[in-house]
This record gives sequence, structure tokens and C-alpha cells, in this order.
Amino acid sequence: MESSILESIGVEIIGVMSPVSICMFLVVLLVYSLSSDNPFSSPDSTIRTAANLVYVENPSDSVSQKLEGALLNAVVFVILIAIVTFLLVLLYYYNCTNFLKYYMRFSAFFVFASMGGSIFLSLIQKFSIPVDSVTCLLLLFNFTIVGVLSVFAGGIPILMRQGYMVCLGIIVAAWFTKLPEWTTWVLLVALALYDLVAVLAPGGPLKLLVELASSRDEELPALVYEARPAVAPRTGGGGGSALGLLVTGAMESEQVSSSSIELQAVPRRNVNRNDNEIEILGGNVDNYVVTMGDFRDEDSQSVRDGEEERSPLVGNSRGGQFSSADNGRRFDGREGEIVEEMSPLVEMGNNEGQVMSRDGVEIVDRGIKLGLGDFVFYSVLVGRAAMYDLMTVYACYLAIISGLGCTLILLSVCRQALPALPISIMLGVLFYFLTRLLMEPFIVGTATNLMMF
Amino acid sequence: MTVAAGIGYALIALGPSLSLFVSVISNKPFLILTLLSSTLLWLISLILLSAIWRGFLPFTISLCWPYAILILTSVSFQEALRIFFWKLYLRLEDMLNAFADRAAKPHLFLTDKMLIALAGGLGHGVAHAVFFCISLLTPAFGPATYFTDRCSQVPFFLLSAIIALAFVTIHTFSMVIAFNGYAEGNKVDQYFVPVVHIVAGMVTLINWAPGGCTVGIPILYLIAILTLTHCGRMVSRRLTENRIRADHS
Repeated sequence: MESSILESIGVEIIGVMSPVSICMFLVVLLVYSLSSDNPFSSPDSTIRTAANLVYVENPSDSVSQKLEGALLNAVVFVILIAIVTFLLVLLYYYNCTNFLKYYMRFSAFFVFASMGGSIFLSLIQKFSIPVDSVTCLLLLFNFTIVGVLSVFAGGIPILMRQGYMVCLGIIVAAWFTKLPEWTTWVLLVALALYDLVAVLAPGGPLKLLVELASSRDEELPALVYEARPAVAPRTGGGGGSALGLLVTGAMESEQVSSSSIELQAVPRRNVNRNDNEIEILGGNVDNYVVTMGDFRDEDSQSVRDGEEERSPLVGNSRGGQFSSADNGRRFDGREGEIVEEMSPLVEMGNNEGQVMSRDGVEIVDRGIKLGLGDFVFYSVLVGRAAMYDLMTVYACYLAIISGLGCTLILLSVCRQALPALPISIMLGVLFYFLTRLLMEPFIVGTATNLMMF
Repeated sequence: MTVAAGIGYALIALGPSLSLFVSVISNKPFLILTLLSSTLLWLISLILLSAIWRGFLPFTISLCWPYAILILTSVSFQEALRIFFWKLYLRLEDMLNAFADRAAKPHLFLTDKMLIALAGGLGHGVAHAVFFCISLLTPAFGPATYFTDRCSQVPFFLLSAIIALAFVTIHTFSMVIAFNGYAEGNKVDQYFVPVVHIVAGMVTLINWAPGGCTVGIPILYLIAILTLTHCGRMVSRRLTENRIRADHS
């Protein structure tokens, strides 16, 4: 009686939307607090990165000049990304996972330490926080090390990993917002298009990667946010089905120091089945079950009995086809993942779930996964909107979130990896310009006369 | 200090909705989705309206009748939107009940339906407050404040926050009233909502007159309180009826 259907529908969607919202919110705050007088975002100190390799935008240039330059920038950037993605696919194909792994650890370290560090520095300057350099260095070092560990090692609370994923997204997005305006818009659109091609077209690098990963029955090698919180160490027990919960990813970021973009690929962590890990696994089984319990609705008892419970994955999907226990247990182990590898995609892999057996209960957990690139570029869009006005921020936020919702609904219908950028970015850009051009004069005109409706 | 003031203005406009959100909506994911989609719908309606009116703005003549027409068209457009929202909701209800069957859960209760209506109304209200008040607040965080000529006693930001609060209340609860009215076929409730909306919009025209805000805002709050009490009475009536029916069956 107490548990109505309202509580069980849409849990997964909200699980993805809330971190995205948090990420966007923090980026907007960051952009706001840093946008005035400080070197971090002052326009004259434009840093040359891979995203504006060809053309450095100058406010005094003519419109056609800006457009042309921005287009060139975007094309170069996308080509770079495509090359690096293919490289990643090749490396993955030849099983160079160790190389990828260490390289990505280094990249994460680099992002946290230098890019994060410079953001912290400008925050300290901005708010005149009294902190001495030794303390600051120590704190930054600790933050970085824990960050690298939590992103790439098992046995770390999932909440922490999620937190650091969001942090990573925020840091990279904050740097991307330093790009000049025209370049940002064209770049976003170009990336959305690239994402569409890379994930859906036959032979697209991300599609290849996904297929490769699923044919090896492994996780995708990409940096991914996992929406399923209950599963702390995602290690599979039982029959040794897929485990490496550690999803890895590649994310691109501009590296200021080298003044070129480097793609930072995060390799997927291979599952090391050594005793230690199994011990961890064993130690965590109880945890796991308990957490599941919290999430379970009453009737999921029936799930225990082996009945298939059908409940909609997404409100209006064809629910009958999806058997899913409300909380991420499912027996056929589909796993939705949104994976980003330099650019995001949403993947719903087949049978990639982890099976966990204990007491004869087979629990397969599933989660929607959202690539870090989605976080980054959504936040870039909102951050860019924040430089204009708060109104555009709200409009873009709503547009992006609804685009994400559409993507997730499509995901449950198509059941394959989907790009998460195109719908959201297109809606976001559309709403930005509609708001800026149409709505703002209307709202300001009526509201300043104190007329509302 | 001005940052505190800016946050204060935002909380005046959105504080009640925030507590409503945290206490009622946030623990039910589906309601969050309803809220988001209704906010989006309202935003789209606003964009459409502003697209229509873009050619005429800003009004060069300093008369208030163009604004009257503007408010009249906007409100009637939004009331049409409410009917559209109701049609959408009907479909959704069937879908939810089908899912509930499949998941071996009970169908939607009366309270669930009211919660959905509340979430939809809150979405409209929040969208109103966000676009008409919060989005104009950016300068309030800066070192100065702003006064309009026509109501020079109170800062503009505070004024718009107060008006937005009234409208949030009206929007939120009139959606509950309207949905119940549609569901029961109750003509009074069905007409109550658009009338309240139009009257509330027209009352803001009083602000046009110099010093009119001292009259307009109390009337606006009177309307908001009227909506609130009407909604409260109607909900308690429905709930008791429902309980009696449940006891009998």
C-alpha cells in the first residue's frame, strides 16, 4: 500500500541526472565567481590549446572571420580527437591495457594536480583565503592522490569515486569555458555531430570500441560515471562474470602546458583476480547485500524467488521487454552504459551485467553509465551560457536535462550504445539562442514594469 | 552584504517551493521528472509567446493597454497549455497503471494523482519564479540595487521576489485544482483556475500606476491565499470522500 509506483519509476534517470546537475551547477558557480577580475579567465590571456590551434579569436574580428576561424578550430579539434580515439582503439585491440592504464593514471594525476591546482589557486586569490603554500601544496597533493586512487582502484566507496568523477568533469569543463565564444559554440556542435558519427556509423571508432569490449566480455575502456550507487566494489563473484567495475575512459582535455591537446585516455582496468581482490570481494558481499536491501521495494522479494519482475526502465519505454528489478538487479543482465571516450556515448551493452551469487540469489547489477565527456561538454555549454545571463543558464539547463532524458528513453528502446551529446547539445544551443534573442527582451520588458502572469 | 541580499531575494521567491520540493517531491523520482518536464513546457510556452511578441517590443508608447493585451494573450495561451498538460497526464496515467499491473503494484492512489498535479503545478510556478525573478537577480549580487520609478519605496528585486512568491503559490495550487476539476468534471473548478490566473495577471497592471504596488501586491496576495484555501478545502473534501468510499467498499 505504501509503496506506489511513483517511487520506483525513473530511479535510474534521476541517478544520472542528479550528478549531471550538480556538475553543471558547480561549473556555473565557478564561472560566476571567477569570471570577474582574475587571470584565470581574463580574455587577453587566451591560452593556445588544441581547441584553438588554428585561429585565435579576437573580439574585433568580423563575424565571417570569426565564423571561419571557429569552424577551422572545430574541424582540427574533432580530427585530433578522432585520431586519438582510433589510437586508443588500436591499443585496446592489441591489448596494451597496461600502457593505457598507466598513461591514464598519469593523466588523471595531471588533471587533478595542475588544472585543478590552478583553479584552486585562483579561488584562493579571489576569496583571499589565508592559506600558506606548504599547507596548500599538501592538501592539493592529498586531493590528487586520493583522486587518482579512487578513479582507478577498487575497494573505494562508490560515492567517493562518483564524487571524483564529477570533480574531474568540473575541472576540465572549467578550463573549456576559457575558450572564446564562437569557438565554443561551433566546437560543441561539431563534437555533437562527431559523437553521432563515432557511435552510430559503422566503423566509427567508438562503435568499434564498444563492440570490441562486448566481444571480449569486458568493460568499456573509458572514463565513465556509474549511476548505480549501491554496488560498492563492483567485482563479480560467482562464476566470474564480468567484473572490472572500473570503467575507464578517455577524456580529452586541453593541456595548457604543452599548448596542445592531449587526449587523456583512461584505460580500463583489467580485473586482477588476485587473492587480495577476492578477499575484498568477500568482505564486501555483506555490504552489497545490505545496500541492495535498502533499495529494494517490498515486492522485490519475488525477485529473490527467481521470478522476473517487470518494471519499466524508463517511464514510457516498452516496459514489457525489460525485465529489471527495481534496483538494478536483473536477471538478464543488460547493462546500460553511457560511455565516454573522448566524447560520450551511451551504451547499453548486452549481457554485461555482473552476476553475483550468494545464498542462491543471483543478483545482476546494472547501471546507466554516463561518460565523463558528457559531463564536461554539458557543463561547458551551461558555463558559457552563464557568461551571458542567468536566464540562459536555466534555459540551457532545462534543455540539456530534457535532452538527456530523451537519450535515456531512446536507450531503453534501442538497447545499444547511444551518443549522449547530440540531442542535449542541439537542444541546449537552440534554447540558448532562442532565449537570448527572443525571450530576454520580452521578460525584461514586462518584468521591469512589474507585470507578470 | 549584497550577496546575502541576493540570496535572500532568491529564497523569498523560491523558499516555499524549495521546502515543498525537498519534503514531497524529491524522494519520488517520477515526480522530479514531472516537475522538470512541466518546467520545460512552461519555458517553451514562454519562448513561443516571446517569439510572437518580439516584433512589438519594446512598447514605445507609455500606455498600459498593450501590456493588458499581452497579459491576456499570454494567460489564455498558458491556460490552453494546461489543458494540453491534462491530456498528456491522462495518457501518462494509463501508462503508469499498465506498468503498475506489470510490476504487481497497486494502481495510482488518489494522493498519487494529486502529487503528480502538485509536481506539475510546482514546475509551472518554479519556471515563473526562475524566469521572472531569479534570472533578473544577477545585478542584485553586485554592489548596487535598483529601484523602479513606479514603486520607488522598495528595491525592484525585493518587489519582483514578492510578486513571484504569490505567483508560485497561484500556479502550484491552481494546477491541483484544475486537475481535480477535470477529473471530476466540476465546472466551477475548471473555470476557477483560468479566472484566477487572468485576474492575478491583470492585478499586476495596477503596478503601472505610480505607487500602485502598495495596492496591487496586497490584492495579489489575497488571490494567492484564496487559491490556497480553495485548494486545501477541495483536497480535504476529496480525501474524506475517498476514505468514506474506501470504508464502505
